Amino acid sequence: MIIDIALTNSVIELQALMQVPGPDCGAFVLFTGHVRDRENDAQIEGLVYEAYVGMAEKEMQRLALEIAELHPVKRVVVRHRIGRIPVGETAIAISVTGAHRAHPMTFVQLFMDRLKQDVPIWKASTIPVSDHAPAIH
Amino acid sequence: MTLLYFSKLRDLTGRDSEQIPMTTSLSEDGLWDLLEARHPGIGKSRNYVRIARNQVYLEANSMLEPNDEVALIPPVSGG
Repeated sequence: MIIDIALTNSVIELQALMQVPGPDCGAFVLFTGHVRDRENDAQIEGLVYEAYVGMAEKEMQRLALEIAELHPVKRVVVRHRIGRIPVGETAIAISVTGAHRAHPMTFVQLFMDRLKQDVPIWKASTIPVSDHAPAIH
Repeated sequence: MTLLYFSKLRDLTGRDSEQIPMTTSLSEDGLWDLLEARHPGIGKSRNYVRIARNQVYLEANSMLEPNDEVALIPPVSGG
C-alpha cells in the first residue's frame, strides 16, 4: 500500500488527488471537505485551522495503516489544509484506490471519522463576515 | 521536558510552549499536579484533554521523561 499524507498551508490542488488506478484497481474514491458559510449559527467568511503539525501527519499515517488492516486498499492520498481557509474552499481531501469499491469507500468513511476524533487539528477561529481579522473564541 | 499547548489551552496558559526542568520521571498525575501549580485552574480540563508524548498519545501508566516533548491535546476539530 502506498500512503501519501501531508498538511499544507496552500490551496489543495485536486489534481494531486486524482489517481490513475493501476490495472489491479477497479475503484477510485475521492472525498473533499469544504468550509461552509455558517459556524455556530453565525455567518462566516472562513475558518482558521491550526495543527500540531508533526503529530497530525504521524497520526493520519497511523490511522491509515490501522484502517487498512481491515480494509485493504492500494493507495491513499490525503491533504489537510491549515491556516486561513475561505468559505467554499477545500479543507481536506482524501482519495483511495482499491481492487473493488467496498474497501475504498469504507476506508474513506472510517478515516474521516477517526480523523475527527484523534488527529490534532483544530478550527482555531472563524473569520466573521466583513471582518478580515480572525476572531479568537 | 518541553510542554506544548494548543487551541483553548494556549489561550488559558497564555503561551504555546514552555520548558520544565526535570531530573526524574514523572507520572501523568504528577504532570497534572505540576500544571495546576503553574496554571491554576488548568486541572479542570483534565477530563477532556489528552496527553501526547513525543507525538504519540500517552498510554495508561506511562511515565514522562526529562527530554520528552509533551503536548496537551484538547478535543480536536479537523476535517
